Amino acid sequence: MDKENSGQVTKRTTRASASSTPSKNTLSNQEEFEDMDKENSPQVTKRTTRASASTTPSKNTLPNQEEFEDMDKENSPQVKKRTTRASASTTPSKNTTDYRPPSLLDNLVFREQQSIISQDELFSTFPGRKCQILELLRLFGPINSSLLPIFLYGGPSSGKTSIVLHIFKHLKRPFIYASCRTCHNPRLLFESVLNQLLLHRKDSSNAYSSAKRCDKPSDFVNMLRESLMEVINSLRVNSKKSGLKESGEQGIGGMVYIIFDNMELVRDWDKDSVIISMLFKLYDILKMPEVGLIFISNNSPDTYHLNTGSVEPIPIHFPEYTEDDLYQIFLRNQRDPKLYSSFLDVVLKDSCKITRCIDELSTYFRLLFEKYCEPLSGIGRVPNQDMKSKLYMHLKPHVTPSLNEVFRVPSCLALELKENKEKVGKKRNMRRLGDGVVPDDIDFHMSVSAKYLLISTFLASRNPATLDAALFDSAGGGDNTNRKRRRK
Amino acid sequence: MDGKQTPAIEALTHLRSKICNRNSIFSFSSDAPDSNYNKLKFIVSNSVTEACNNSVLLLGSRGCGQVEVLDLVLEDLKAEYPEIISVVRLDGVLHSDDNCAIKEIAKQLCSENQLLFSKMASSDDNTQFMMAVLREYGLAHKTVVFILDEFDLFAQGKQRLLYSLLDAMQSVSSQAVVIGMSCRLDADQLLEKRVRSRFSHRKLLFLPSSKEDILRLLKHILTLPEDSMFPRDYVITFNKKLHNMFEEAKFKEILDTLLDADSSVHHVLNFLFVAVCNMNLESGYLSVENFKTALLSIQRPYKLDSLQGCSVLELYILACMKRLEDKEQNSYNFNSVMTEYKHIHDSYRISDYYARNVSLRAFEHLLQRELISFGDSRGQNQSIEFRPVKLLISSHELLQGLKLYRSCPALLQKLMTGELNKMKAHLVDVEMID
Repeated sequence: MDKENSGQVTKRTTRASASSTPSKNTLSNQEEFEDMDKENSPQVTKRTTRASASTTPSKNTLPNQEEFEDMDKENSPQVKKRTTRASASTTPSKNTTDYRPPSLLDNLVFREQQSIISQDELFSTFPGRKCQILELLRLFGPINSSLLPIFLYGGPSSGKTSIVLHIFKHLKRPFIYASCRTCHNPRLLFESVLNQLLLHRKDSSNAYSSAKRCDKPSDFVNMLRESLMEVINSLRVNSKKSGLKESGEQGIGGMVYIIFDNMELVRDWDKDSVIISMLFKLYDILKMPEVGLIFISNNSPDTYHLNTGSVEPIPIHFPEYTEDDLYQIFLRNQRDPKLYSSFLDVVLKDSCKITRCIDELSTYFRLLFEKYCEPLSGIGRVPNQDMKSKLYMHLKPHVTPSLNEVFRVPSCLALELKENKEKVGKKRNMRRLGDGVVPDDIDFHMSVSAKYLLISTFLASRNPATLDAALFDSAGGGDNTNRKRRRK
Repeated sequence: MDGKQTPAIEALTHLRSKICNRNSIFSFSSDAPDSNYNKLKFIVSNSVTEACNNSVLLLGSRGCGQVEVLDLVLEDLKAEYPEIISVVRLDGVLHSDDNCAIKEIAKQLCSENQLLFSKMASSDDNTQFMMAVLREYGLAHKTVVFILDEFDLFAQGKQRLLYSLLDAMQSVSSQAVVIGMSCRLDADQLLEKRVRSRFSHRKLLFLPSSKEDILRLLKHILTLPEDSMFPRDYVITFNKKLHNMFEEAKFKEILDTLLDADSSVHHVLNFLFVAVCNMNLESGYLSVENFKTALLSIQRPYKLDSLQGCSVLELYILACMKRLEDKEQNSYNFNSVMTEYKHIHDSYRISDYYARNVSLRAFEHLLQRELISFGDSRGQNQSIEFRPVKLLISSHELLQGLKLYRSCPALLQKLMTGELNKMKAHLVDVEMID
């Protein structure tokens, strides 16, 4: 129950943010959903990567994903429970009935008895990540020990976020999680952190507004300091109260950890990199040893070029999975491990030469595996050597086309205009025309003038904005500014 | 870990909090008579006792303790002259905007004097308030210390804040110190003429510590205090082992490598922190191995690491780009890279040849990894294939990365080392014979 509350907080944030900018809402919602998934159940790693795989824009992933979710539900009762919970939290009416005055510890810590995970469980949930988990555990150290800022980096879907969140679940310590992807501008990021600290939930009673309005870094630091003080004080009081009782088991303690995910995106927010240097300097600015800062990023620290430089946090590298790790990861949660392992024997080595990114591979493998199973009449039979080679022969012709299908990169234009699906469809057709590829037939009627309009929008979108002004602005916008400049 | 706290865990927590509390670390380096601590203390206390205005810049690369030393000075002076020193702290990262900075000053002055701060006050009101407070402080013989961290960032715009602060320093009635801190050694050159003429041109340079200092620092930090809650014999063995370790040649080597890269105190502290975290809790003592692993994790070869994460196809693309650069083709895009790739495929019959779509995806990965980047920021609405790109990795690094790469195709390495020309000649020979 407690967890559900914390889930809602984050969930809500995205919704509100989504409403402010319609263009990004699909993406950010999904991301947040992933985050939630990761937080909620220990055995979802596999699933989350799959969900994220659907961000790679190929058309046939979507229906498949649903299918997979169904499958998962059938497989494990625990996951099913979780799904219903997640769906419950999306209906606002239920929230209000469930509403309890939030208490600090419930909200900032994973606190469900059943969900305590041991260290061994951590290792088995994340194959091939033992080194990193141990290193992180060592850095977090025993309870109440201070932490210098640390910086986790590694390619996409290498388990950075989920490992950190699971470790906090394991350690049972209070933390705040803010992803710079869902909070896509400084204001949302600041408010999301403050909301979590102040235990504020966006809901219909407060018109989905944040606890405090805050868009300047200077205000943020002031408010952050105040609210952190409060939280730390209440933690201290709490640990005194329950000190005797809880000294036996680990957990809570006097530290608050703040996790900033997807730091690489912050670089695009502002030109003069004020926000990013502020975040990296936050530890020095706050001067509170009770606050631990954790940064997560796709890119290594050397790619953060700051004009004023900064002291680097402690780096922790999450390398790409090796082939053996991938083998283990893909075998997890398979209905028919033997069949799948024979399938992996065939395809894994070659596909590792192309990419070792799990979400891409899983989309690709899903397609191929269907093809691979086609000759088999009933699932459950263990293929013998003979059968294996037969299956392989059947699979071979499908490899290249599905590679092409899965790894297709949508044009840059299509990405920009994703908010309007229909438009994108048209645009794509236009683009193919431009590339000299045979165009797909337009399967709906379009008037001639509409076609002209489309073509002209396409042309206009490829022109620099200044050219448009010079050609179409009746006042001759370009000339005017030029004259002014000359006068200066 | 059971509930009972072993001395090792307690020692670990103690050391960690000692490392994280940076002010205490610099306190020990303050005894020398010509240290920055004493100079700065003299300047500030001069202003407190003689009722004069002062301004000073603390320059030096990051992590050399400007902030910490200043904090120590202020702490000591506040203890020495209670209730007549107020401190206003600004940070260029947060308050580079003049209005915002003035507002923050007013706010801090208000909270210092138990006044009510009005959020609605305009920037002009705030400036006037600041001037009034300065005058009052001067009359009461109290000192305000303005601390401007990241001083260079305040010099970006019209420098209105700097001007009004330093201008206020010129009047007899006020009694204030402006202390700027910057990692840019030319920070005072950034000032406008009207601002610079009002600045006192006092500068204190903070240099990275020497090796001896760092060694003393290490001893100071890592030695456990004898009169504490730890068991006495544990402390004695801990300190003894530590001092033996400092004498080891292996340890000195590690320290040298660390300091060669960056000898700022903050860097050393990061290193120490990781080393202490690696302490074996069962034995409870620090060993050279801890420091060795710490060094490896602090000084990572980032580019090489990210090369190890590349797939074979991505390496091919990098190699192709490298070849294009060798041919002195100064501008190229994905299409030209693909032509080169095809060319290699045709002439050397490589087995790993992938379709354009797949390669484009790999190309995107490289962009994401920031091993390559777009050559210019123009043409952002162009597709990736057509934008010019450049390598962000030197050929030396690339070569080294290929050598370390597990199961790297032999041909790829030859491509890079230039042995290929020989091979090509050989191939031609074979064809001739055929």
